[in-house]
Amino acid sequence: MSIAIKTLRKWSRILHRDVGFFFIGITLIYAISGIALNHMSDWNPNYTVELRNFTTTLNLEKSNATKDNILLLLDKINSRKNYKSHYYPNDNTLKIFLKGGSSIAVNILNGNGTAKYLKKRPLIFETNYLHYNPNRIWTWFSDIFAGALILFVITSFFITKGKKGIIGRGGIYMLLGIIIPILFLLYYM
Amino acid sequence: MKKIIFLLAIFTVLISCKTETKKVNQIKGVKSQEVPQIAIGEFNTKAGDFVNKEVQVKGIVDHVCKHGGKKILLVTDDGDVHVTSEERFNETLKGSEIILTGVVLEGRIDEAYCLKMEGDNIKSHSEGTSNKEQFEAKKEHIQQYRDQMKANNIDHISNYSLKYVSYSKVE
Repeated sequence: MSIAIKTLRKWSRILHRDVGFFFIGITLIYAISGIALNHMSDWNPNYTVELRNFTTTLNLEKSNATKDNILLLLDKINSRKNYKSHYYPNDNTLKIFLKGGSSIAVNILNGNGTAKYLKKRPLIFETNYLHYNPNRIWTWFSDIFAGALILFVITSFFITKGKKGIIGRGGIYMLLGIIIPILFLLYYM
Repeated sequence: MKKIIFLLAIFTVLISCKTETKKVNQIKGVKSQEVPQIAIGEFNTKAGDFVNKEVQVKGIVDHVCKHGGKKILLVTDDGDVHVTSEERFNETLKGSEIILTGVVLEGRIDEAYCLKMEGDNIKSHSEGTSNKEQFEAKKEHIQQYRDQMKANNIDHISNYSLKYVSYSKVE
């Protein structure tokens, strides 16, 4: 084996290992949020949602006292400190928005209502926030990460030699990993 | 080791320099003089005069789309307006009263659109994406468009929405 190849293998191992360690955090961020966001139609990836039904006898019809009555309602079922805004989506319904994304819908004719309380999913909320590319600095960082993923691909060709490497079993795995998305595209596109 | 710590420190400073991407004007009650304001309740009737032009609307953010956060529904007691954006809206906007500046977009529903909807409906049903109930509901919806156009003797229905430019919070 030539010295050049030896050097290439050595540097591939070093870069794959050290850059890999550096990007463990961001890899986990994209992996966790990737699963969470993939199943968006099955669940709310950012919040847990708790529904609570209630009945009120307060007059919540549109009037000068509406705001005061809403605050009285909140005193009973939540806290007036959480009031944010309200409006009437139709003649029968009052919708109240609370701080933190929660909301309450009340049928003003019969007093039946449902409070929809949202609570951030710890860790997953934060990873989703980053996954959605919140600002330019993060775009740069995630671009560097994407570049590092390409680096991992290239260096993986040289790390292992022989029948377990790219010209042996590793090559078969690589082809399988490429064929699966191609088959998917041929079938679904 | 010192070099690594130094590099990490620089990197941390860079990451912490958060930049705000939304053009937010937080000044209370301030609105641009040049941009006409339309009441949301009158949006559907007046928007046609402002297609591809900027207008302002004032309302409460009822909904921020959880699929990407690039759509919001702005509401009042009298109606609603859909707003789309190329940037994400912050989810904390939900329930906030805002004055939003946006460009009026017109979406036209005509016979060609109905035919396309019909084709898509048949395709998604035959592929198993939609069930019989959804298929029939969509079919009925398309028929409603056709009936509406026929009843009003028009060849298209206009749906108006806004393309986000900026907003200011009303506090």
